[in-house]
Amino acid sequence: MIKDITLGQYFPGNTVIHRLDPRAKIILTIMYIVVIFFAKNLWSFMLVVASALALVLISKISYKTLLKSMKPLIFVLAFTTFFNIFWTEGDVLLVSIWKIRIYLEGIVYAIMMIIRITALLIGTTIILTYTTSPIMLTDGLEQLLAPLRKIKLPVHEFSMMMTIALRFIPTLIEETDKIMSAQKARGADFTTGSLAKRAKALVPILIPLFISAFRRADELATAMECRCYHGGEGRTRMSILHCSFKDAAALLVMLLFGAGLIALNQLPCAISL
Amino acid sequence: MTEIELKNVSYVYSLDTPFMKTALDDVSLTIHGGVITGLMGHTGSGKSTLVQLLNGLNKPTSGQVFVGGEDIWADPKQVRKFAFKVGLVFQYPEYQLFEETVRKDIAFGPTNMELDESEIKRRVEESAEFCGIAPSLLEKSPFDLSGGQKRRVAIAGVMAMEPEVLVLDEPAAGLDPRGREEILGGIRDYQRRRGSSVVIVSHSMEDMARYSDEIIVMSHAKVYMQGTTAEIFERADELCAVGLSVPQITELMNTLRDRGLDVRRGIYTVDDAKAELLRLISAKRGAK
Amino acid sequence: MKDPFIKIENLTFAYTDEENGRNEVLKNLNLEIERGSLVAILGHNGSGKSTLAKLLNLILIPQSGKITIDGLDITSPDLTEEQLFENRRNIGMVFQNPDNQLVATIVEEDIAFGPENLGIEPKEIRKRVDDALATVGMTEFARHSPHQLSGGQKQRIAIAGIIAMMPKCIIFDESTAMLDPKGRREVMDTIIRLNREFGITILHITHYMNEAAQCDRVVVINEGEIELDGKPKDVFTHVEQLQKIGLDVPQTAELLYELNCAGIKNNGKPLPLGRLSVDECANEIMSLMESL
Repeated sequence: MIKDITLGQYFPGNTVIHRLDPRAKIILTIMYIVVIFFAKNLWSFMLVVASALALVLISKISYKTLLKSMKPLIFVLAFTTFFNIFWTEGDVLLVSIWKIRIYLEGIVYAIMMIIRITALLIGTTIILTYTTSPIMLTDGLEQLLAPLRKIKLPVHEFSMMMTIALRFIPTLIEETDKIMSAQKARGADFTTGSLAKRAKALVPILIPLFISAFRRADELATAMECRCYHGGEGRTRMSILHCSFKDAAALLVMLLFGAGLIALNQLPCAISL
Repeated sequence: MTEIELKNVSYVYSLDTPFMKTALDDVSLTIHGGVITGLMGHTGSGKSTLVQLLNGLNKPTSGQVFVGGEDIWADPKQVRKFAFKVGLVFQYPEYQLFEETVRKDIAFGPTNMELDESEIKRRVEESAEFCGIAPSLLEKSPFDLSGGQKRRVAIAGVMAMEPEVLVLDEPAAGLDPRGREEILGGIRDYQRRRGSSVVIVSHSMEDMARYSDEIIVMSHAKVYMQGTTAEIFERADELCAVGLSVPQITELMNTLRDRGLDVRRGIYTVDDAKAELLRLISAKRGAK
Repeated sequence: MKDPFIKIENLTFAYTDEENGRNEVLKNLNLEIERGSLVAILGHNGSGKSTLAKLLNLILIPQSGKITIDGLDITSPDLTEEQLFENRRNIGMVFQNPDNQLVATIVEEDIAFGPENLGIEPKEIRKRVDDALATVGMTEFARHSPHQLSGGQKQRIAIAGIIAMMPKCIIFDESTAMLDPKGRREVMDTIIRLNREFGITILHITHYMNEAAQCDRVVVINEGEIELDGKPKDVFTHVEQLQKIGLDVPQTAELLYELNCAGIKNNGKPLPLGRLSVDECANEIMSLMESL
């Protein structure tokens, strides 16, 4: 069921990660992604695995939820694994059948790629989406991007759009489910037939969905107008973001993590990229 | 007259996740053929889940569903044919309209059944008539119609499949009294003329009292009561216990009985109440 | 009227579209709403009742006529933008579809949306949000996401979002139409509380006669004109007239009306119809039976 998609969902909680300032979290996430891509050898990859495990433990997000959120990535993982295994050439030949040659290096590459992508996903979901309310996230983004307003970029409008999109994603997913069921009850068939036939079968879902989205947008606009919305000018916020000691400490930990990883990269190691 | 039978049916949402929820718990019941059955219960009682099991849209977690004696999941490949046998109209069905004209939209179901042109045409026009859609509207875009008209087009779209059992989830939700009467009255005419079976899910006691022959009350994932409309509304206290009520007129009759007036039980429409009071009045006058 | 909060004079509004031309929705309407009253606007779909609501805070602009709200002529051509926003703050609106009026993904953030637009101090917003949540009895849901709530709960959040703006009047535009009986009761109880405890003037637009029966005054609108106006027990005596325009009456009133039609009299007098509650109606019938 489409309802099961958890990517981009927020799980309220009260852990250290939950309480960090969203601006700090955005910066931390970017740093984490960059650092992960510096990992080169077995030691530094072990540090990456350790850091991902630490994030899971600190955030108290259940591993089941995480596994579920990995589902959409299975294809990507399978794809990179496949390419790494079959297209990497190295020194240690393991299997050789007809034209297919599998080298130890290929398998090592594949495993490292899987670790990288998984850590990337865990990092971004745990530091950002799962532990930050979408409002805080867009708030943080709006404030980080605030300097861009000087060059006339509509930063507030952009973050408002993000908030509304996030608010309506679950609603529209539910609606899609409902429309699909309703058309199935009228005998629509989405699962058999040629690609063209299946594409055509989507029309009875997409048209009602678009119409409903426009109607919702229209009603929401009226409701917002009635609540005196008139753009970002003169607007205040209930929650003011405060950077505190925690955030500085978190940044420091991330810097140490990066430094440690680069140091580990220097260690001699038989297995490395 | 097709009967639907549920044997020990359970349905669990999001099995094996933290969001796991039992929507139906070992439910066994029979929905009789040739009558209008009202399905009542508060939100979350399991009635909407139940409805989606009747036509094979969802598969029960355990238990069996029989339509006309056939186990619909006996051969999972054949389950789609039960979508045509048991026509299901969802809540707010007007949001599923998508075709350019009303005619084409009503024809969507019959076309999926791969019927021939003339048969489709007959069915479209007949079901449009049941739902009070004027022939002049058939060539219009469904999106130009009023809310109530759209609702009726959507219902006609399911009726046109000529299902043996027609199931409607809250067909009158959000409509004003006249709109409710048009839709529910149309459904009753359809049922009386075709002699088929109809299931209506509703929150409105007054509507159920007027239009249903039998009633099933759901509560906390189980069947709480089942019986004829008169039998159900006689048990006012039990209905109140699960957050439902009886029609105001039934409440009035119960109050009159408590105050010593000899009114009969099982009155749930204004017409019946009037007839009963007139009977008592003339009896008293006659006694003098 | 002592102190009219809303005064509508000769209001006319028409939609124009290419196909059907001019479609007059409100015709020369005159209506006064007293400060602090709880008024039901009853009418069938398309009777013009929702249009009226949108005119009162200038989401729609009337073609002719005058609307004065809280002493301010909002139809005046000199109305400033500030006055327009002040009027929108003053007259809160709660709509039909609970999903399509919540902006934020967290309940308390949504309630803060209105005050934030008004540029209120963060501390004051926090206080207002907490008070509003308590008023609608949803404090424990402050950190929830709206899509996890029931229809009735979402509607109460929408109400909280309005009261956080401290309006003097709230218009409920068919806010109960999409709810189940439980949700409807929750919202109706909240509406009555806002009126009785906080003195907020309320216009409740609905087509449920049992909700209208709980208000101080019922205004029945049909085809853009006022058909009936008065206390519920007076309005619902017009059984035939209400049924003719497609509205219901309480079953108690309908039964007494039907008995009258059958020529039943109590001591030579027809039965009075304004007996809306079960008890009142039962009293009437018992007295009739004893008179025989």
